[in-house]
Amino acid sequence: MRNMHKTLIFLSVFMTSHTQAEVSLNGFASIVGGVTTYSDKNLNGYDDSIDFAQGSLFALQAVSELGEGLGVTAQIVSRGEDGWKPNFEWAYISYDATDNLRFLMGRQRAPFYMYSDFLDVSYAYTWITPPQGVYDLLIDTFDGVGALYSTNIGEFDASVQFLYGRNDDELTVFGEDIDVDFNDMIGGSVTISRDWLTLRAGYIQAKLNIPHSQINQLAEGWQQLGFTDLAQDIYVIDDIGTFVELGFKIDHNNLIVVGEFTQLTLDDMPLADEESYYLMAGWRFDDVLVHFTYGSDENTKDDLTSMVNFFPNPGTDAFQQGVNAFKAGTQGLINQQKEKQGYIIIGARWDFHDSAALKFEYTDFSDDLNGLNDTGLFRTALVTVF
Amino acid sequence: MSLLTKFNIKLLTCLFCVFTTTLSFAQVSVIVNTANSATIADGDLPRIFLGKAKQFSNGDKVIIINLKFKQAIRNEFEKKVLNKSASQVKAYWSKLMFSGKGKPPKELASDKEIIAFVLANPGAIGYIAAESVDDSVKVIKTF
Repeated sequence: MRNMHKTLIFLSVFMTSHTQAEVSLNGFASIVGGVTTYSDKNLNGYDDSIDFAQGSLFALQAVSELGEGLGVTAQIVSRGEDGWKPNFEWAYISYDATDNLRFLMGRQRAPFYMYSDFLDVSYAYTWITPPQGVYDLLIDTFDGVGALYSTNIGEFDASVQFLYGRNDDELTVFGEDIDVDFNDMIGGSVTISRDWLTLRAGYIQAKLNIPHSQINQLAEGWQQLGFTDLAQDIYVIDDIGTFVELGFKIDHNNLIVVGEFTQLTLDDMPLADEESYYLMAGWRFDDVLVHFTYGSDENTKDDLTSMVNFFPNPGTDAFQQGVNAFKAGTQGLINQQKEKQGYIIIGARWDFHDSAALKFEYTDFSDDLNGLNDTGLFRTALVTVF
Repeated sequence: MSLLTKFNIKLLTCLFCVFTTTLSFAQVSVIVNTANSATIADGDLPRIFLGKAKQFSNGDKVIIINLKFKQAIRNEFEKKVLNKSASQVKAYWSKLMFSGKGKPPKELASDKEIIAFVLANPGAIGYIAAESVDDSVKVIKTF
């Protein structure tokens, strides 16, 4: 609550300091309750006791138009899972060069996915949150420059977004809080729409630096054993990761169909590559939208140590013992990331109020590599914009 | 008790009739400034009112003007012209507003205010109840 006070103080300062410019204040909120339906099972941060903090969020956005095409925007989001600590998800200066070209400078959302731009605004889409199997990158935002260009090609509306920037947030990677550095982040997305059809494609790449203690220990070990190339493949230093997204959406009268495919490639790193997709179909019955989603998620990685053989009888040979230990450690790191899973989401959204909706969702999750992880998750959410 | 229930049902039915008649007979006129020479086809209207088409056919900048939320004419317009429910339209503008891509149109409280705004702004386009139309504005189409 004290954090919320700070936010309000910040906003009031922000509002009074521009006595001449008009500041508009808007916001959105989601209150989400969730519980896994199998005892002693966890999914997406939920367990078998009902939880109202995980997934709940409260956001305020202040926008001030300064004239001559310049504007300032700050969006502060407090999340229950972070102890309601307020965080600037967006903080940028925008400049409208023309009616069709806008530049954003500062902290903003990277256009990884179809729903990236308004990921937290649950009111703006069907599910409580977009499918986690696809929407699971480590970062959503970057600091840098974005450009938005929109145009019409015949009856098609096209919008193109470019970005260049960096993210050096503190993130939790394999249970460790570390300062990552994703730099030279560059990419863009293209969205084409006509009437009821929307098509989208996105590509983003970045140089990844993840100074994780265990990963570095493994790399140092291989280095000392003389496997220099392998050590370089283990360190995550300036290695380029690439991300591709393809998506479509059909929104025709009462029918809505959405699909997205994503591919994450992390070469020269001990981090898994990922391919995911989902397909959602929904039908509107007046104020109630009923929807069904199938999704699949697969993480794979080639064995980085395949050219290093185990020593069956290392005895007291320190080198042989070292190789065996580091090979087991490296394979362990890779194996723990391997995933093959599918899920089904059945849900409903009820627009019971002008500015609020009530949502219900059941997720049936199955782990193809370990059936013991199969579980179900029931969630309900009250979402609003104001 | 049963009498009261019966009465309530009657009252509800009456209210329902009044409500549905006002809805289905309310006609909406899309209006622009009399000086606006652009050709605007029916198919252009959703794109104009959703902020996708930013210029008229003659190159003039579009200024959309909306009626305040919760008015029958607005629901009628959104249903007939945009083919969307009130919450779908709200969701659409929320997407743009919270992602730095655009802002919802200015909203005015009454037909009178919309006419006054259209008179004062050559690029303005709005909609009002058909019976509110007067000679000071140009009607593009009545739905």
